[in-house]
Amino acid sequence: MRLSHNDHSECVQSAQPWRRILRTVLVGTSASVLLCGLAACGDNTPSPSLTQSSAQAQGSYTEKLSGEFAAAGASSQKSAVDALIVGYSALQPNIAMSYDPSGSGAGVNTFLTGAVAWAGSDASLSDEQIQSSQAVCLGSTAFEIPVYVSPIAVAYNLSDYGLNDSSVHMSPSTIAKIFTGKITSWDDPQLKKENPDIADKLPSLEITPVWRSDKSGTTKTFQTYLHHTAPNDWTSEPSETWPNSLGQGAKGTPAVTMTIGQAQGTLGYADFAQVSGLGTVAVGVGSDYVAPSPEATAKLIDESAASSDSLGADGRFVIDVNYATQESGVYPIALVSYDIACPVYKDARTATYTKQWLTYALSDAGQKISQDNAGSAPIPQSLREKMLPVIDSITAASSGTAAKN
Amino acid sequence: MRTPDFDKFKPTRSSLAARKRTDMLMRVLIYAAFLVAVIPLVSVLYTTIVHGITRFDWYFLTHNMRGVVGGLYPYGGILHAAVGTLEITLGAMVISVPLGIMTAVYLVEYSAKKRLHKTISFFIDVMSGIPSIVAGLFAYSMFSLIFGPGTVNGFVGSAALSILMIPTIVRSTEEMLSIVPVDLREAAYALGVPKSRTIVRIVLRTALPGIVSGVILAIARVIGETAPLLIAAGSISSTNFNLFSGRMTTLPVYVYNEFQQGMASCPAGSALGTDAWGVCVPGIRMERAWAAALVLILLVLVLNGIGRLVAKVFAVKTK
Repeated sequence: MRLSHNDHSECVQSAQPWRRILRTVLVGTSASVLLCGLAACGDNTPSPSLTQSSAQAQGSYTEKLSGEFAAAGASSQKSAVDALIVGYSALQPNIAMSYDPSGSGAGVNTFLTGAVAWAGSDASLSDEQIQSSQAVCLGSTAFEIPVYVSPIAVAYNLSDYGLNDSSVHMSPSTIAKIFTGKITSWDDPQLKKENPDIADKLPSLEITPVWRSDKSGTTKTFQTYLHHTAPNDWTSEPSETWPNSLGQGAKGTPAVTMTIGQAQGTLGYADFAQVSGLGTVAVGVGSDYVAPSPEATAKLIDESAASSDSLGADGRFVIDVNYATQESGVYPIALVSYDIACPVYKDARTATYTKQWLTYALSDAGQKISQDNAGSAPIPQSLREKMLPVIDSITAASSGTAAKN
Repeated sequence: MRTPDFDKFKPTRSSLAARKRTDMLMRVLIYAAFLVAVIPLVSVLYTTIVHGITRFDWYFLTHNMRGVVGGLYPYGGILHAAVGTLEITLGAMVISVPLGIMTAVYLVEYSAKKRLHKTISFFIDVMSGIPSIVAGLFAYSMFSLIFGPGTVNGFVGSAALSILMIPTIVRSTEEMLSIVPVDLREAAYALGVPKSRTIVRIVLRTALPGIVSGVILAIARVIGETAPLLIAAGSISSTNFNLFSGRMTTLPVYVYNEFQQGMASCPAGSALGTDAWGVCVPGIRMERAWAAALVLILLVLVLNGIGRLVAKVFAVKTK
């Protein structure tokens, strides 16, 4: 009898703290949800420099949008798009935008199913893709415009020898020979010849090439450059995968720069924005050597755009990058990434959004944000002016506003 | 009757010494194995805490990533990712806990030695071997087929995770139910309690602490999943409380995204230093990734604590 009584009292005692905990949790959760408001919960106040530059452009974005918009594509654009999202969101405070860096191919495929408004891609569309875009673009065909140009630096680490600040000079054929294992030491006569000023400082150290082990537009661009400028020393066909296994592979740009930074005598290729702290090679152009910089890369795009024949046909702005340029002061290795969009969208909301987004990406404010925060090279003004009419002509098939995103 | 000569069985001194040596050797080996097993755990915890503590503050916990650019102040936080992880995991629990427990009850209490038992068991085993990315793709394509292409929201993520959780829950619950003594069931039947009531009030109640630990293990297994959520739930920089509409960032996806982007580039002329307007931290993404990893570990710890509490409160009192 006493036993059962004890049991009972214990039960009551133990149930009470449980109820109390439950109540606290419920009250706490509902209070925090109430405090938060809804969509604005935890939003940061953006940097004032950013909101200022965006405020000047306010006029072009009078049509207010709300809700969620999605885009997908090349991971190379991710940093730039993230910065642009912040700038664009300052103009359209009620939207939430996402960019899924699933890769160029995956991004374009997602775009072709109609799941995203636009796609980012390191490669221009193939004829087949243009054909199949008719389904999602309601009979018209998709177009691409270059929005992101990133210089690709050949980076090295010789910090122990004090050489990270003095851009080592290399001709395209020297670079190709290093990445194919024909030049293996930093004090190779070829390197000494090209670097008379620092010839004595070049160490007798093995060169370890570092390359991307995953599929990458950066790899393809770098190989295309070597293919065009050193055809005798670089014989493999450019592709998204690295052709040999000399040295060290690393997955993704951050891992490449990390690998280069961790050892002496390493040499690899990576987006210019990511190589801070490492040495960058000044590559041979004509009789000159040019170190990577956004300005020198902008010149390359300017020159390449001028010599691209079919630029702007059908609204497609595909730039044939002139890797083998001989112009002085032009940095010849650059990744051009495109935004792929439809001229006609099913609903007005997506059409307005895409039009505004692309306009913003090409505006002065957008270009500055992406240059400051992703280290991209600016798109030349003349080229941007040619592309704006194409963006302006984006329309919607129906005038309805209720639609899926 | 003569007593047996026990002295005959007395161990000799040398055999005693040999036993002690073997004992010592095995003891050392087992301790060494324990230490080896603990090293990675301690190392992971230590590294995460050391790297994560720099960014781990109130601002980080109460802000999302909207309005955050490169390495510039403000440095953003993980509120959106924490909300996403909690809601998606809760959603996965709501789907998989009832399903898992009911499957286990059927397997143990109703279907013993039937052919269906073998079939279900087999498929549970197959399910537990499904790679997580396949679960993500399955959920994504299923929702795409039903609700149109590109349906990405928190609930798709929950569906993907529940596929990973169900086998773990079924297996552990099955174990727990089968160790409930048959006597208890028989005692209930003897008192005229129907079978269904016996299962709910006696069997499940007795096995509750074990079932709860199984559920916690299942949660711990899925809460760190990145690949399926990257596909199914996507990622976005603003806070989304609605599980059924719009993308949701989760902590592992957040960590992955931050790490994937590497160093943040700073606008020319921006200052370096402590948190203030215009100050740029190039390594901010790594700091955020570490701090978010720390939060994830703490979250699992808290969930573990809650689970233990639940098990304790509802456990059958025995004297």
